[in-house]
Amino acid sequence: MAADNRYEEEEEVRTDDGSPITKPRPIVRLGIFLVAHSPVFSVVFSAAGVLALLLLPLLAKNTYISENALMPGSARSMLSNRDASDGSKLVKDIKNFRLNHEGQGVEVQRLIGKYMSEMVAEVYYQKFQPEGNQFHPLHFFSGPASYTLLGNVSCASYGVNVVGIIRAPRGDGKESIVLVTPYDFINGGDYEDLSLGIVSSLFSLLSRVTWLSKDIIWLVADSRYGDYRPVAAWLAEYHTPSFKVSDLLKCDELNTADNFRRAGTVAAALILKVDGRSERFEDILSIYADASNGQMPNLDLINVVNYLAVHRQGFHVKVEKVVSLLSSSWLKIVGEIFEAVGKVANTLNPDWKFGIPAAEYIEGSATLASSLYSQALGIPTGPHGAFRDYQVDAITLKISPGFPPDSKARQHDFFLRGSQLLEGTIRSVNNLLEKFHQSFFLYVLTSPSKFISVGVYMIAFALLVASLPMVAASLYVDGCKALTKSTHNSAENFKSWKWLDAAKQVFALHLLGFIVTLLPYFICQVPGQHSPRNRSIMWGTTSSLLLVTFVTIPGCSPFSSRLHGTNWAILKSVTISAAFIGLCLMSIINFATAEIGALLLVPTCLLAQPIKPALRSRRVKSLLGAFCSMVLVTIGFPVIFFAITKGLVGEGLVGLSLGGEFWTWLESLWAWKSATYLYIGMVHLPCWLLCVCILFHPS
Amino acid sequence: MKEKKKDDGEMAEELEKNSYRFWIWSIASMIFRFCIILFPENINLSSRPELSTPLTSLCRLAEGYWLKQASMSPYSGSMYHGSPLLLSLLGPLTVHGIEGQWNHHLCSLVFVVSDILSAVLLRATGQQLEKAYRLNLRRLGLLKASRDRGILPCGDIAALVYLWNPFTILSCVGLSTSPIENLAVIVSLYGAVTRRVPLAAFGLIMATHLSLYPATLVIPLIFLLGYGLDAPPRKLFLQTRDREGEPGQDKLTRTTQLPFLWKTVLHFVFWVLVWSIYVLVLCSLSLKQYGGLEEMFKRTYGFILNIEDLSPNIGVFWYFFAEAFDFSRNYFLIVFQIYMFLSILLPLARRLKHRPCFIAFVYLAFSSILKSYPSVGDAALYLSLWALFVNELTDMKHSFFIFCGYIGFSLLSPVMHNLWIWRGTGNANFYYANAMGYACFQFMFVEESVSAMLNHDQALKKATAEMTKN
Repeated sequence: MAADNRYEEEEEVRTDDGSPITKPRPIVRLGIFLVAHSPVFSVVFSAAGVLALLLLPLLAKNTYISENALMPGSARSMLSNRDASDGSKLVKDIKNFRLNHEGQGVEVQRLIGKYMSEMVAEVYYQKFQPEGNQFHPLHFFSGPASYTLLGNVSCASYGVNVVGIIRAPRGDGKESIVLVTPYDFINGGDYEDLSLGIVSSLFSLLSRVTWLSKDIIWLVADSRYGDYRPVAAWLAEYHTPSFKVSDLLKCDELNTADNFRRAGTVAAALILKVDGRSERFEDILSIYADASNGQMPNLDLINVVNYLAVHRQGFHVKVEKVVSLLSSSWLKIVGEIFEAVGKVANTLNPDWKFGIPAAEYIEGSATLASSLYSQALGIPTGPHGAFRDYQVDAITLKISPGFPPDSKARQHDFFLRGSQLLEGTIRSVNNLLEKFHQSFFLYVLTSPSKFISVGVYMIAFALLVASLPMVAASLYVDGCKALTKSTHNSAENFKSWKWLDAAKQVFALHLLGFIVTLLPYFICQVPGQHSPRNRSIMWGTTSSLLLVTFVTIPGCSPFSSRLHGTNWAILKSVTISAAFIGLCLMSIINFATAEIGALLLVPTCLLAQPIKPALRSRRVKSLLGAFCSMVLVTIGFPVIFFAITKGLVGEGLVGLSLGGEFWTWLESLWAWKSATYLYIGMVHLPCWLLCVCILFHPS
Repeated sequence: MKEKKKDDGEMAEELEKNSYRFWIWSIASMIFRFCIILFPENINLSSRPELSTPLTSLCRLAEGYWLKQASMSPYSGSMYHGSPLLLSLLGPLTVHGIEGQWNHHLCSLVFVVSDILSAVLLRATGQQLEKAYRLNLRRLGLLKASRDRGILPCGDIAALVYLWNPFTILSCVGLSTSPIENLAVIVSLYGAVTRRVPLAAFGLIMATHLSLYPATLVIPLIFLLGYGLDAPPRKLFLQTRDREGEPGQDKLTRTTQLPFLWKTVLHFVFWVLVWSIYVLVLCSLSLKQYGGLEEMFKRTYGFILNIEDLSPNIGVFWYFFAEAFDFSRNYFLIVFQIYMFLSILLPLARRLKHRPCFIAFVYLAFSSILKSYPSVGDAALYLSLWALFVNELTDMKHSFFIFCGYIGFSLLSPVMHNLWIWRGTGNANFYYANAMGYACFQFMFVEESVSAMLNHDQALKKATAEMTKN
């Protein structure tokens, strides 16, 4: 699609030379036609883009198991009541231990370790430190190997992971499957114990079975410092062994030196969490899959879990959705319209089956919105995100049991079902000879069993941005003509280089955006404790000072009006091209960010026009245009957009507290190495500034 | 006369101002490079496939040097594939380090200096070309005043384009040896333009020795030495002379071909032989115990022509030869390597023989597209050579479109690489698609430049014809 658009642009430049073209090819004529009517087509394409986005839940396909080797559910479960009672025993022991021993130490870890070694597993403990908040915006482009260890180690705060490995009787020790149970050893609740119970039931089975060909690693992650950090620390040590002896090892009586064991390449990882009781009577299984920067695990892994959970164990499976959308009336109307259209289409030709019931549509859109939101943020939704950095497919399964934690009878059944689910999944992954590769990596979910693949959702984005190169080309032609008219002699020499001045301005503002993006690094280095609010004030003042300096430097100033300088049409054309390149790049890095960014940036860029002539002309149409562009530019400023989103969610924020909130939000973005931060700083902000320049252009 | 003197005075003033600005900008570019070199912590540029190829990577050179120090052939283990002379030159600089880690600052210094040298030589070349351009226009009668504001100082522009091109800066601070290869090429062009025959021969031999592909420059260099600097087609001058009313001139001059200075060219060939023997002797001395020249030819030129290393780069061959069947590999190798010679070199040499420097640009651009192991350093070289012709190429078409394409694809390259290597959600096709898109835009760039140059010649022809009529 992008290539086509470029074609159009190319053809346009060809026409501007005025050289007669003898019978252009059809595609060239099409391009010229599109560019000549760019205002109409840009409206049509943008509307089609938004419509396609709304249509996405309709276009979702049912998931299917793509890799034949997985064969989920084909083997009978070998899990017995004995295994489940093993799990119950561990849970009971931990509870009793908790009652008798209040507080500190690593006794609970030792207890779990003892259980593991009773099941003939190799057990070791790993110490790790909670990581500080570091600013590495360019981390995105490098691999996980460039992790830097913290220099100073304090014994005051550190966590201890317990890891048990079962060696596979049929394996060669080169591959493994990881099970993770985040567990707070100090103040874990009753529900958290249940996750240990499920995995220990499974572990007791796996220590006996003969079919295992991949080693099984059970990581009990110390979740005192969040779920993510312990898993990331364990993975970092697993994949990049450091030969320096960490000072952390000397901290405690628990000696963890020299006993870190490995079990080969990790084929897949399952993170199991049990938390709060579900509202329903049945047990609910929620699947979380989004890793950093909108990366998803292979769809087959989700399929296997979903298939087993629904068809074998009878869990109610769900994925996250935006609850507030479920009751929104406009979505309901849209859904009903689509339903009616689908019905009409069905009467015309029974083979056309694209209509879905309105309720399903609303459900799908709410899930889609949630997926898009979490992908756009670029922040992983759980510890599975740490695995994605090492190209391991991982998902988090969060089970909400439908019974109170002290109900013994149902607990046993719960353990049986939970560990049978895990057993089936492990058995499927165990069958694999290669990495997961058969199914999709790029998709969004609209329900646990429905997905939209990259080929479909890219259409919505492509339609949305398709108008950019068209409008850029037509503006370029207009601008060139205007320039040639206004300057007769000097422009003659630079027929095709008139855009250089505009490009210089665009480059200057992008450079400014880059500097502003890097500023927080220096602000974080400022000595002393500062509240987020103060930091954001510092950031704001330095950025605006920089902007003022940029504007006053002659040559880069976008506001300077020189006789032979740029006219706004060319400036807008170059701006739109820059926005187009930035959005296309971002759509490859993280589709969701690009889609949301395009929804904001495309109308802003397209409607930006100098308001001076509009005010002068006093015609309703141009006044309305100026008003629209003003509104769009106001909304487009990142801080204001953030405030509006917060307002929609229901948290009213004004004034300085907004700055603090915004800073905290950005801090979370760069702490998670989200490319969205780079996008905001290096694409959105400069393009927004350029739109402001165009608005106030003295033309 | 008086007026002319005044003009000259003004011109000199302007020139001084220009050169003042030039030096400020070049020093700024030097400082910028040092800044990046001194803060390399987070940006591990030397491992980027866009910057360092198996031929130009300094890490490989350090490895080769280490092997040689350990009395082993520097070529053993298929790590190093560069010149043995470069090994003796840069090798010692790679070992001086602190705490076991080799220190790249000294090497970076060498690269910065070579960049500056290249820029200065480019500037001198450009000044010669600009002078020739003025002279030719005046001889055609198209330039009335002795100074024309419309003519750009192409030397300064080319030098600054070279110094501030992100490609040059990245390959300079990214520890690849391409700044030195580029310097050799520019030296040869400078030598030919200023008619320093031994220097031209030396540059050509060094460039060929370092990266083989500049061997094609022998054609433009011979044209440069034989016919002189870039000029409009010879026919135009004859027309003008007709117009100026010299009917007494015998018809002989009209029909004569261009005078070809055989003597200079022979001189050049002689020096080429001298330098090549010199370089070969030095190489054989340096590789005496490790297999001698045969080993060197096999491991450097053989490595380039056989495309042995199929690790991803921004070229178009690695993917193809990774996919090609073994039995057809030799056939495709021959076809691809000869394609350049047959279909590009000779026709262009015929069509553009009155513009030898421009031919050099086109050859370098083509070799940068069709090279076995291209890097962005090659693009930096031909882009700055292109800037030598800003006066002729003002009417280049699609310039904005090509510019956007270059920017888009060079930003896309690390993204695709990341998607493939680190995230695992993409595959080799993603990166290769990017390489093909990049190659496409390079082709388009060269094609547009050549057609703009031909159009320029046409326009000159038209203008002279009109003048003759009047």
